Amino acid sequence: MANEINKEEMHTKRVLEPLAWIFQLISGLILTVLVTFHFYETHFVSHEAMEYELVVSRLSSLGYKIMYALLVFFVAFHAFNGVRAILLDTNFGAKYPQVVNSLCFLAFLIAFGYGSLLLLVF
Amino acid sequence: MDVEFRIRRFDGEKSYWQTFNIPVKRGMTVLEGLYYIKENLDGSLTFRASCRMAICGSCAVKINGKPRLACETQILEIGNSLEVEPLDNFKVIKDLVTDFEGFFKKHEAVKPYLIRKDDNYEEPVELIQSPKELHAYYDFTLCVKCGACYSVCPAAATRDDYLGPAAITAAYRFNADSRDEGEKIRLALVCGDNGVWRCHFAAECSEVCPKQIDPAKAVQKIRFKSAIETIKSIFR
Amino acid sequence: MWQKWFSVKGKSLFSIAFSLHRLTGVVLTIYLCMHLAYLTSIRMGKEVFESFIATTVTPQFLIFDILLVLAGIYHGVNGLRLILHEFGLTYESRKSILYVSVAIVLIVWLIASYRMYTFVMGV
Repeated sequence: MANEINKEEMHTKRVLEPLAWIFQLISGLILTVLVTFHFYETHFVSHEAMEYELVVSRLSSLGYKIMYALLVFFVAFHAFNGVRAILLDTNFGAKYPQVVNSLCFLAFLIAFGYGSLLLLVF
Repeated sequence: MDVEFRIRRFDGEKSYWQTFNIPVKRGMTVLEGLYYIKENLDGSLTFRASCRMAICGSCAVKINGKPRLACETQILEIGNSLEVEPLDNFKVIKDLVTDFEGFFKKHEAVKPYLIRKDDNYEEPVELIQSPKELHAYYDFTLCVKCGACYSVCPAAATRDDYLGPAAITAAYRFNADSRDEGEKIRLALVCGDNGVWRCHFAAECSEVCPKQIDPAKAVQKIRFKSAIETIKSIFR
Repeated sequence: MWQKWFSVKGKSLFSIAFSLHRLTGVVLTIYLCMHLAYLTSIRMGKEVFESFIATTVTPQFLIFDILLVLAGIYHGVNGLRLILHEFGLTYESRKSILYVSVAIVLIVWLIASYRMYTFVMGV
């Protein structure tokens, strides 16, 4: 039939957008929990939560390390995938989708890497 | 009763507001008002209209900031002063007439017709459909392609090649049709970066649709489907 | 061009919700970058970190913090609403869900603001 579309070409081109969309929703769901916890931890529990020793002790414990790693991973993805979606909403994004995709992915990696650095130091 | 019509006009070079005062009777529509101006006050006023009964979708204009069909909007329901403008997100050709070429091209691009493997025009067969199957898509067949949804869509406002709510709704309408066999083809067509992913559920399209057919709902449904299909295709 | 995302004249509440979602999203992304940069101070030792805290955890900064929390709560609650609809659920009752979300945002924001106020003031 004339309506057949080249399947191979279709596949590689179409996977990024749906996966990014689904993952944006999932990371959003996870973030509501993680960010609420992070905020609660620093503002609701005690007045001393932001003292240097307490911050360092949190950063040194394995449980917090995992929590912060997840938080920075999901927040960096959610933020820069959001920026990517915003840029793709424009004619600039329509013209240079590859540029937008790679820059946002790079920004995500940098944000995630820089945030994780703190977890590796302590 | 006299009603003030402020109309945003465009003569090919500059855009300007012009005010007309016209006598209005109860039940008179905005379209009749525009005809009154054209016949009695200014023959150069240009607008598009045809059926006068909300089935051709030609006369959608922005009335007091909201897109509506001029033929089914009564003047006195709006008040005694009206602002009539051409639709947003379309190129204005003259006065209230906008360029729909791209809009119809996008509509055409999603293959809005039944796709079947057994098309046989020499010996056509009747395609049986139950009432339930009909109602799965019936509401979405009511679209009159007036462009109201497209004119308020924030994604269509900034990205010219976004398919827009109307075209994606048309794709959904045929995908939901039990007689159709072209679902995969259409999912691939709306799945690009100019397709369903540009929708962020501002849902304004559903708010302004003169036929109340909820384009936003169709976009969410077809998007969910194409995301699921894509994930399945990875494991295939 | 991009200003059109924020033009709300003649639009419904849904469009305003979209505009605010986009605006708060951008604000929170900028804040994320600032927050990550700020945290560098922890690696630079106790004195640097405490001088950072002494300047930012103050009554003068409270107003920004409270506005930021509003942006965060709005983006979160409105985001949950969007996820619900984008997964194809409860689409028909979208109007009442929007009102409920706005109410939740305001309630949570007021509680959080009060708590932050007492936190900074050391009450």
